Amino acid sequence: MRQLFPRVWYLFRRRQLEGDLAEEMAIHRAMKQQELEQGGLEPREAMSVTRRALGSLALAQDRSRDVWVPRWLQGLGQDLQVGARMLRSTPLLTTVAVLSLALGIGANTAIFSLVDRLLLRTLPVKQPERLVVLSTSQRLGYLAPYSFATFDQIRQSQLFDGALAFTNCCLKSALTIGNETQSVDRFFVSGDFFTTLGVRALLGRLFTPADDMPGGGASGPVTVISYRLWQERFGGAASVVGTLITVDRTPVTIVGVTTPEFFGVEVGKTFDVVFPIHMQFKTRDSIYYDVDTPYLNVMLRLKPGQSLAVASAALRAVQPQIRAAAMPRPSNPEFLKDPMMLEPAGAGTPALRQRFERPLVMMFCIVALVLLIACANIANLQLARGIARRHELSLRLALGASRWRLARQLLTESLVMAILGATAGLAFATWANRALVAQLSTFATPVVLDLAVDWRVLAFTATAMVATALLFGLAPALRATRAAPVDALKEQGRMASEGRAALSSGLLVVQVALSLTLVVAAGLFVRTFERLGRVTLGFDRDRVLVVTVNAQLVPDGDRNRLYHRLVQTVAAVPGVAHAGGSINPPLVGALVGDVVVSPPGTPPPPDAQRVSQVNEITPGWLSAYGTAIRAGRDIDDHDTASASGVMVVNEAFVRRLFPGRNLVGTTLAVTARLPPNGDFLIGSKTVVGIVSDAVYRAIRDPVQPTIYMPLAQWGDNALPYTNFFIAAQSSTPSPAHLTRSVAAALIAVNPDVSLTFHSLTDQVNDSLVQDRVVAVLSGFFGGLALLLAGLGLYGVTAYAVARRRTEIAIRMALGTAPAGVIRLVLSRVDVLVGIGVIVGTGVSLWASRFVAALLYGVEPRDPATLIGAIAVLTSVGAVAGSLPAWRASRIDPAVVLRES
Amino acid sequence: MGQNGASELLPGTLDLLILKTLVAGRQHGYGIAQRLKDVSEDVLQVGESSLYPALQRLLLRGWVKAEWGASENNRRARYYTLTAAGRKQLAVERQEFDRLILAIHKVLNIA
Repeated sequence: MRQLFPRVWYLFRRRQLEGDLAEEMAIHRAMKQQELEQGGLEPREAMSVTRRALGSLALAQDRSRDVWVPRWLQGLGQDLQVGARMLRSTPLLTTVAVLSLALGIGANTAIFSLVDRLLLRTLPVKQPERLVVLSTSQRLGYLAPYSFATFDQIRQSQLFDGALAFTNCCLKSALTIGNETQSVDRFFVSGDFFTTLGVRALLGRLFTPADDMPGGGASGPVTVISYRLWQERFGGAASVVGTLITVDRTPVTIVGVTTPEFFGVEVGKTFDVVFPIHMQFKTRDSIYYDVDTPYLNVMLRLKPGQSLAVASAALRAVQPQIRAAAMPRPSNPEFLKDPMMLEPAGAGTPALRQRFERPLVMMFCIVALVLLIACANIANLQLARGIARRHELSLRLALGASRWRLARQLLTESLVMAILGATAGLAFATWANRALVAQLSTFATPVVLDLAVDWRVLAFTATAMVATALLFGLAPALRATRAAPVDALKEQGRMASEGRAALSSGLLVVQVALSLTLVVAAGLFVRTFERLGRVTLGFDRDRVLVVTVNAQLVPDGDRNRLYHRLVQTVAAVPGVAHAGGSINPPLVGALVGDVVVSPPGTPPPPDAQRVSQVNEITPGWLSAYGTAIRAGRDIDDHDTASASGVMVVNEAFVRRLFPGRNLVGTTLAVTARLPPNGDFLIGSKTVVGIVSDAVYRAIRDPVQPTIYMPLAQWGDNALPYTNFFIAAQSSTPSPAHLTRSVAAALIAVNPDVSLTFHSLTDQVNDSLVQDRVVAVLSGFFGGLALLLAGLGLYGVTAYAVARRRTEIAIRMALGTAPAGVIRLVLSRVDVLVGIGVIVGTGVSLWASRFVAALLYGVEPRDPATLIGAIAVLTSVGAVAGSLPAWRASRIDPAVVLRES
Repeated sequence: MGQNGASELLPGTLDLLILKTLVAGRQHGYGIAQRLKDVSEDVLQVGESSLYPALQRLLLRGWVKAEWGASENNRRARYYTLTAAGRKQLAVERQEFDRLILAIHKVLNIA
């Protein structure tokens, strides 16, 4: 369509432009008339001559309008008006339809935008499809870390169009500007990070390889800050470039600001400051991170046209050379032994995706089903409306309207409803999205997503809108085209309504079946959540306050001593029964590598069972959490760095690794096994105690072997962990009361630490957030599906009763009792619900395989859940059917028969 | 000759004639019709139902501009002006028209 813009402009200014035209033509006439009068004609004569000469004014206006707005579009406007009037004439039906559409489309939009952000969208970088991340052939729960030496070798191999390295995530830095200090998210990147990604600076410049040198490049130590930090701390001032700030006691210069859309390479995470990798060595007091330390993730950019398989093969071909050149000293036979692998990384590194993929896809299916049910419901309502309008439609046909014109009218009405629903749905989605992300984002694993509605989301909503309008509008529209003009003359056309009854019964069966599936799913998820809430945690969740101590400002070398002092301080606070500290907090224990044990003096065999749960704790930690000691003793104050190495293990450790043995007193060599980097001997440790099993990482994880080592025996003088978690068990049942006194005591020891407080109950709840969200949402949508199915059953039954009034009246006149009438009406409902339940049971059993991974403590084909769902659905059907049935039984045959 | 001589014109010719009329300077609808009538010696009598849709078409395509102004005898009137695009279009249509007329001549002269 050409000249789109002026046409649209015309539509907006239509009234004025048409006025202009009318005025113009009136002037034209006046001029003509004046001319004729001057030629000597009588005014009246002149007027009639003018009229004859100039033709029809209305025709001229019509034709002029046709120039701007095509005929079919003018008809559309008319359809919309008639449609709106029809919808207004049945406000209740319209409200139910629009509301169910708004919820359906809104929920779909909300889930879609999360799916899009987390699973579908690529990183905001240049040609993201060519980005790959380096990993190993072993399946790990985390992204494999590599040493700087390895990265350097790969970078120099020239096999790729660029290589970049970055630190995994999650650590924080203390940022000091003036005399104000705050904790910021940071990560370290190689000098070619930004150029390889193809990201540009919003302000200033980003890093160059020259910046990533020991001691910094020409500009000295430098940093690039995020758009967010720039806005929040610097008010978006352009003068920020060149500003000197202090990060972890090191002065660094800000050289640039990233664009607002750049959030790093991990979806759902964000950052405040970025440093060159070599700053890592600079900001640390220790040499904990050297070129052989595995702590970097490596991303590569494939050459144009280079496939993943070809690139992997090329990399493996040079792996022996890389391995030889990057071999740490002393050399390690396990180092880089597994074949290197490449994985697509265009959509970002997979952490958050892995976490949310299953529940999101599941929710997407659920909300899609709800929308389908809503469509079936509205289609039924529309069919009923169509019957009520049969007279009108037949009359229009008889008066010469084309069948297509009638179908278009009905489709337009459906579209109007869909547009109303989609608009409300979009508003609902915006709200629901924020609420969902706020729910999913917890203290331990924050989720930061840009949730602005963009064209992708709008396109999805529009597609959903049109698809639903077609789904629920097509059948009634097609049926309308089958109306016969002669029907207009008849009072009752039985043929049409028989056909309609079959179609609407079919729709009802679909509704009942899908609702049953959703109710079963809701039942399974709610039971899962309830089971998870009753899992034996192995610790006392009600009386423990967890203090997160952030000690970035404390030198690495002083940290271990400080942490122990802080624990002793907390233990002395009145009201604290026990106190202890650990490097890993409960329920969010990070997996960073595995540990294997072997008899002292022997290297662990390659197939040794790996222990992935290791925690460094202080004396008192086990008592603070209420983890019971089954044999031996707790770690105590005598287990210092100078004493011989000890450890405590849980019962699962004994069960799995040394079944049937009394392990107390046994000495074992503990070796860290980092897949790409090989083994590293931690030391010999004597088992001094066996403790009960406790949840380490996630409640739904099966109990795993766990090793607890004394923090005091940490192998290095420097402790790199800036976060420390102190558990304080309250002597009263409300641990929150302790917050103030514990905070005061800790600040008195060292004012440089920053503190965050959570009750362990909160942390337990946080760890179940995903299951809770799935349970709540599936419960909500299951309920909605039930409600819609109930409404549908009610509507169709009520309609059937209205249609059979005469028949029922005759039956009653012939002696059928009211109870018999109720049976008559309900028998139809029973048949529909019965078929729906049978179909729904089949669908539920078939679909159960897809939810299995999200369940806990309940079978996917749990018979109790299925029976319960069937019972709920049947009772809803009974309630929905009995109201019209009761009304039918109250029919007064005399009145009805007199009417007809 | 019918009153709406213009409706019997070849398709698109009215647009061409209006554009040509406006070359002389801005003109209102009545003036355009008047001028067509005068120049054609009363052969082309354009009615409103042809003239105004044509003017709207030219407006839509951006070949003319319209603005309200005062007429010779101080009445309000809507004046049309040729735009640069309209001038270019006139040349194109003129050429096309000449070609068509030539073709028609050729056909008529065969016999």
